[in-house]
Amino acid sequence: MSVLRAEPEGAEPRERFDALSWLTTTDHKRIGILYVCTSLFYLCVAGGIAILIRTQLSRPENTFVGAHAYNQLFTLHGTAMIFLMVTPFAFGLANFLIPLQIGAPDMAFPRLNALSFWLFLCGGLVVFSGVLTSGGAAAAGWTAYAPLSVLRVAGGSGQDLWIVGVLMVSIATILTSINFITTVFIYRAPGMTMWRIPIFTWEMVATSLLVLVAFPSLTADLAMLLIDRHLGGHFFDPAGGGNPILYQHLFWFFGHPEVYVMILPYFGVISEIVPVFSRKPIFGYTGLVLAAFAIAGLSMGVWAHHMFTTGAVSNPFFSAVSFLIAVPTGIKFFNWIGTMWGGSISFETPMLFSIGFLINFLIGGITGVMLASPPIDFDAHDSYFVVAHMHYVLGGGSLFAIFAAMFFWWPKMFGVKLDEVLGRWTFWLMLVGFNVTFFPMHLLGLAGMPRRVFTYPDAGPLPLLNAISSSGSYLMLVAIVIFAINVVVTARRRVPVPADPWRANSLEWATSSPPPEYNFLKIPPIRSERPVFDARHPELAAETAR
Amino acid sequence: MNAFGAWSPPTTQAALLRGDWLVFLWTGLAVGAIVYGLILFALLRWRKRDDVLPRQFRRNNRLEIFYTIVPLVLVAVLFGVTYAVERPVESVSQHPDLVVRVVAYRWGWQFTYPAQRITLDSNGSSTGPQMVLPVDRTTRIELTSVDVTHGFWIPAFLFKRDAIPGLLNRFDLSPDRTGTFYGTCSQFCGLGHALMHFSLRVVPDAAFERWAGSAARAS
Repeated sequence: MSVLRAEPEGAEPRERFDALSWLTTTDHKRIGILYVCTSLFYLCVAGGIAILIRTQLSRPENTFVGAHAYNQLFTLHGTAMIFLMVTPFAFGLANFLIPLQIGAPDMAFPRLNALSFWLFLCGGLVVFSGVLTSGGAAAAGWTAYAPLSVLRVAGGSGQDLWIVGVLMVSIATILTSINFITTVFIYRAPGMTMWRIPIFTWEMVATSLLVLVAFPSLTADLAMLLIDRHLGGHFFDPAGGGNPILYQHLFWFFGHPEVYVMILPYFGVISEIVPVFSRKPIFGYTGLVLAAFAIAGLSMGVWAHHMFTTGAVSNPFFSAVSFLIAVPTGIKFFNWIGTMWGGSISFETPMLFSIGFLINFLIGGITGVMLASPPIDFDAHDSYFVVAHMHYVLGGGSLFAIFAAMFFWWPKMFGVKLDEVLGRWTFWLMLVGFNVTFFPMHLLGLAGMPRRVFTYPDAGPLPLLNAISSSGSYLMLVAIVIFAINVVVTARRRVPVPADPWRANSLEWATSSPPPEYNFLKIPPIRSERPVFDARHPELAAETAR
Repeated sequence: MNAFGAWSPPTTQAALLRGDWLVFLWTGLAVGAIVYGLILFALLRWRKRDDVLPRQFRRNNRLEIFYTIVPLVLVAVLFGVTYAVERPVESVSQHPDLVVRVVAYRWGWQFTYPAQRITLDSNGSSTGPQMVLPVDRTTRIELTSVDVTHGFWIPAFLFKRDAIPGLLNRFDLSPDRTGTFYGTCSQFCGLGHALMHFSLRVVPDAAFERWAGSAARAS
C-alpha cells in the first residue's frame, strides 16, 4: 500500500508552463500528451467538417456547399480522421503508457520519438494547406484512387500537398512503430516477462508489426502517384502500359491492415478498462494476445475484399480470409464478457464508454462479416451501407474507446479527474447521437444511395433518412462541446488525484499522477500482468500470479 | 428510386443475391441477439452491490476452445453459402441473347447495341440514357471506362461492377420482370459523380423489337 501512496520525494510543486521545454522535449510522456492534444485538434477540425457534410446532406438537392467544396470536405474528413486522429491518438496514448506499463524510464529512441511527432503534426498541416491553393485542397477521397488522383484537375497542387503530407505522416508512423517494438522488447523492468505485459502494450506490439508491413506499401504507392503526376510515369495509366488496379492493390495492402492499426490499440484500451471496473483479472489473457496476433496476421491477406466489384481479383480467397478474422475478433468479445462475468461491475464514465464500444462495435463487426461476402458486396460496396459499417467500426468502436481512454487516463496524464456528471452527459449524447447518425445510413445504402455524393434526388426514403442522420450529428456535436467544457472545468478546479484513483491494475498506477520525469522511484514486485493489484492485495498475489 | 428491391428480385441473379443477403441478415441478427443478451445479463446480474472482491478467476480453457470452434464452423458455413451464390451470379453465358457495351466517362454513359446498331448517350443530361432490355432473356454487359474508374450500379438488381480504364468487365443480366429501374455511378469520379445517373427499362420481346427498330433509325 505504501508503495502506491508515496509521492516521489523529488516531486516538484506544479511547475509553470514553459513553451520552449515542450517544443524541445524528448520525454515520452510529454510527446504522448502532444500527440494526444494534436490528434484532438484534428478531431475538432474533422468533426467540424463532418457537421458541414451532414448539413449539406440534410435536404435533397441542397446548395449549402457545391460539388467541388463537398469533394474537398469529405477528402479532408477521411484523411484527418484516419491519418491524423484515430491512428495518432493511439500512438500518443502508447507513447505515454508503454514505458510506464513495462516499468521503463523512457522510450528506446527519445529523439526519434520527437521527430515522429513533428513529422506527424507538420504532415497534417501540409495536407490542410491545400485549402490555401487556388484549386483548393485534395478532392479525390482519402483513398485517392488513380487515375482520378493523377488528373491534374483533381485538386491541382492540393493533391500534391496531400500526397506529401500523408507521406510525412506515414514515415512518422513507421518510425514510432520501430520505437515501440524496441522499447517493449528491450526496456522491460525486472520481472516484467512478455507474458506479464499488459494487454494494451501487447496490442501495440501487434499494431507496430502491422505498421512495419503495411505502411511501406502506402509510401511506395504515393511515391508512384507523385511520379505519375509530375515525372511522366505510367504506373497507373493503361495508355502507357500501366494499370489502375495496381494502385488499388498497393493501397489496400496498406489500407486493410490500417483498419486494424486503428482498432487493435483500442481493443487494448477496452482490455485495460473492463477488468478494473469489473474488479476481476482479464479473462483469457493468453487467448486475447494470440487473437491479436491472429488478427494482425490475417489482416495482411484480406486487402482485395475492397476490390470485389473490380472483377480483377480472386473473390473466394479474399472472402474466406476475411470471414476468418471474425473468429479471433469473436474471441476478444467473449473474453471481455468473461471478464465481466461474475465480477462486481461499476459504471464510471470509462466503463460506460467501454460498454458503448461493445454495443457499437458489435454492429460494425456483423456488417463487416456481411461485406466479406462478395454477393452482398456487389450491392453494398461504395454505398452508404459501407459508410455506416466503417463508421460503426471507427466511430462507434475506436472513437468510443478514445473517450474511454481519455476519461480513464486523464488523471494519470494531467493529475486531475474529469467530471463524472458531465462525463455521463457526454456518453449518453454520444451513444444516442452516434446511432441516430449512422444507423439510418445502412438503410440509405440499401435504398441505393452511393457514397461520396454531394446531392441526392428527392425520391423514396432518402430525404427522411438523411434528415434523421443529420440531426444525430448535431447531438454528437453537443456531446463534444460538453466534453470540452468538462476539460476546462476540471482544469480550473485543480483537485489533485492520488496515484491510483480507479484502484487499477497495471504499473502506470504505481507512480504519482502525473508521473515524475523519471517515471518511477520504486517499482513494486511484478508477479503478474497487474502488479498494482497484487501490491494492494498481497493476500491474493500468490493465487493470481502467472 | 427503388428501395431494397430484394423483396421481389427483378433478375434471376438478384434472386440469388437476395438469398445471400437474407442468410447473412438472419445469422447476424441471431449472433447479435446472443452477444447483446450475454452483455446485458452480465451487466445486470453482476453490477456492483458491495465492496467484497469477486472471485479472481482468469481462464476456462474448455470454454475458450468452445467459443473459438463455434464461430469457425459458423463462418465456414457462411463461406459455403457465399460460394454457392457467387458462382452462378458471376458465370457468363457463352451464347447471350443480346450484347450491350457500356462505356463510362466523366460524367455520363454510352450504351451501344452492336448487333442492333444502336448508340445511346447521356449527352450531358444527369438523368442519363435509358437502357432497354427484353424480359426473360440473358443480356451480356461489356463494361469499361475511357478516363477514371466508375461503377455501374443498379440498386434494384442488387448488383454493381466497376468500369475500369484498360479493363473490359463482362457480366450477365437476366431480368425476369418488366419495369423501369434506376441506375447510378457508384465509384467516386470527380465533380459530376453525384449526377451520373442512368435508367434501365425491361420490356416484353415484341416491345423490345419495336423499340430497337426505331432507336436504330434515330442513332
